[in-house]
Amino acid sequence: MTKEGLSGRLDRRTIIKATAAAGLVQIAAPFVITARAAETVKIGLDNPLTGTYAALGKNELNGCQLAIEQINAKGGILGRQAELLVEDSTSGDAGTTVQKARKLIDRDNVNFLIGNINSALAVAMAAVAYEKGVFLIVPGGHTDAVTGTTCHWNVFRICNPTQTEANAVAGTLIKAYGKKWYYITPDYAFGHTLEAGMIKAAATLGGERIGGDLTPLGTTDFSSYLIKAQATKPDVIIFLVQGDDQVNALKQAVQFGLDKRIHLAGAQGELEPLEGLPPEARIGTWVFEWYWNQPHVPHVAEFVAAIKKKTGRVPTARTWFGFSSTWTCALAANGAKSLDAVKMAKFLQGFKLPPEVALMPDGAFFRAGQNQLIGNLYVGHAQAKGSAPDDLFKVTDVVKGAEISGTLEDTGCKMTWPA
Amino acid sequence: MTQLILFNVFNGLIVGAFYALMALGLSLILNLSGVINFAHGGFLAIGGYIAYVLIPFIGFWGALLVAPFLTAFIGLIVERVLIRRLYGRDPLYSLLLTFGLAYIIEDGTRFIWGAQSMPYQVPDWLMQPLSVEYFFLTGYRVFMVLLVGVAVAGLFLILTRTRLGMRIRAGTLDLETVSVLGVNVRLLRNLNFGLGIYLAGLAGVLAAGMLGLQPVIGTSLIMPSFVTIIVGGLGSLPGTLLGGLLIGVASGVTTVFFPSATEAVIYVMMGLVLLVRPRGLLGEEGRF
Repeated sequence: MTKEGLSGRLDRRTIIKATAAAGLVQIAAPFVITARAAETVKIGLDNPLTGTYAALGKNELNGCQLAIEQINAKGGILGRQAELLVEDSTSGDAGTTVQKARKLIDRDNVNFLIGNINSALAVAMAAVAYEKGVFLIVPGGHTDAVTGTTCHWNVFRICNPTQTEANAVAGTLIKAYGKKWYYITPDYAFGHTLEAGMIKAAATLGGERIGGDLTPLGTTDFSSYLIKAQATKPDVIIFLVQGDDQVNALKQAVQFGLDKRIHLAGAQGELEPLEGLPPEARIGTWVFEWYWNQPHVPHVAEFVAAIKKKTGRVPTARTWFGFSSTWTCALAANGAKSLDAVKMAKFLQGFKLPPEVALMPDGAFFRAGQNQLIGNLYVGHAQAKGSAPDDLFKVTDVVKGAEISGTLEDTGCKMTWPA
Repeated sequence: MTQLILFNVFNGLIVGAFYALMALGLSLILNLSGVINFAHGGFLAIGGYIAYVLIPFIGFWGALLVAPFLTAFIGLIVERVLIRRLYGRDPLYSLLLTFGLAYIIEDGTRFIWGAQSMPYQVPDWLMQPLSVEYFFLTGYRVFMVLLVGVAVAGLFLILTRTRLGMRIRAGTLDLETVSVLGVNVRLLRNLNFGLGIYLAGLAGVLAAGMLGLQPVIGTSLIMPSFVTIIVGGLGSLPGTLLGGLLIGVASGVTTVFFPSATEAVIYVMMGLVLLVRPRGLLGEEGRF
């Protein structure tokens, strides 16, 4: 044993250096690699497993894993077993995300890349995938640019662009609660475009932005923003923050009693934050991109049962994002009869997902020339208690994405295919 | 506008009191043992999760009493088994150890309870605003400030009126002499570490009532705590309290004018203090 010394004195410089290093705790993260076998078709998942989006990332991973099991049970990809390689991209560090994406491509030789939840990281991954010509599916990064102004022939997206989500909910909010909105928006790509989308969607219906704040990702205390929001006397406070930030913001808004005076809502709701909230804070109007309680939609019950068996919980939209992303890889390769990225991307133009993958009343297809999946969106409100313990969202309106997605020209996507 | 600023000043004091509570424990450990406890946020999370487990059995009030002690007990074991071995070595050793420990605790809580936030229930009557106009003054927040006041007063009483406290203060100044005088320094450091972790546990139980209880709950609060210590002055407990309140208010008032800089402003403040008064506002000259 080391002799215990008494002179463990520190100088100030050491402590200041240490404080600077403390920031690393929040951005550095371990990586996870699954066991790998030879001659498999490799799908690399570069998504958050730590930080603000860890819960969402875990659910996307669950969906990917279930899809891999199903794909392999049905003969694999081009007759070879599919294998999932998982890396933790962190929740907000673009450097780490890009480094992991390059590792998956260069060292692990993945055939497909999937990621990322964080929009900024999704854009960064798309740039790497485009440079390397690797087939990428963005499961849950919503910023418009991914399949808009910075779209690429090899980058496909499952979740909706922020503008589509905004279009889905704006009408309901204006009709039911009023036109003056205050925004609490996360200060990164996703938040910026979602707010811009909400402002645009509301403006066409006479809605007005009377104020708003950009909040840093990972904000814990929202009280000062809420004080500001309340002072402007809005009809609706629009919470565009996500994940753990959304939990913190809603919890504090309800403690302040704001829900009794102002309607609280958001463009993008998810089951994960609702599960983390105490019942009284499960409130507000939201858009879900997929919901597990769809009793009349074929194959949904089987999917819910399979995920429940695997994880003990119902699937969320994130689980479905991961599931359909992974299945899309297999469908593209099997359909194109090739692992060549150009052939697969061409095959997917206008491709309609089979019902057992789409799991939506009106199905879902990849819009040609944009690579964006277009399906249904679910507008409704959070509820403290539903038909089952996990039934925390009441769907009031199932919106057809095709009707609110605008034209291809609106998206600003101009794709250049390799010669 | 004036009202908005005033509201944010008051709110900043509430938030700052919480930062101070967490930083006090950090400061205690740093002062006596020279350990920069990166795992302090992890212990905060442990406090919150222990309370979450206990609440269904003994209620919120029972958990508030018991969880910090259980956290402190875990802290005592960690000090005894891991940290003690590194006293007297270069401070970077304990820094790296606690850095790793922070990860282990974060991943451990994620492994046990999952990455998702947990619905943490505090009594309904505490969750109401006290008045419609001053809606940000909820029963819970006022209670929290009172409790921070009690904890700080208790800590000062322990440090100034008890043998243990006197030894801790003496040890902070000159541990070698204290040892020569026959004080069991091992036990002193152990108890001091436990006291610091008790405060982290208490902060954890309180934080989980306001924030989502998730594995990163402590990680997100550790940085303001370090800044609190540096602004307030290394080695000074009143300085730590002052530092916490100052950065809370600065952050709150910045929201009014430049909301996206609310996080950055505390680091700007730290930079300014280091330039103008490097030992911190109430730090003793020559201590560090």
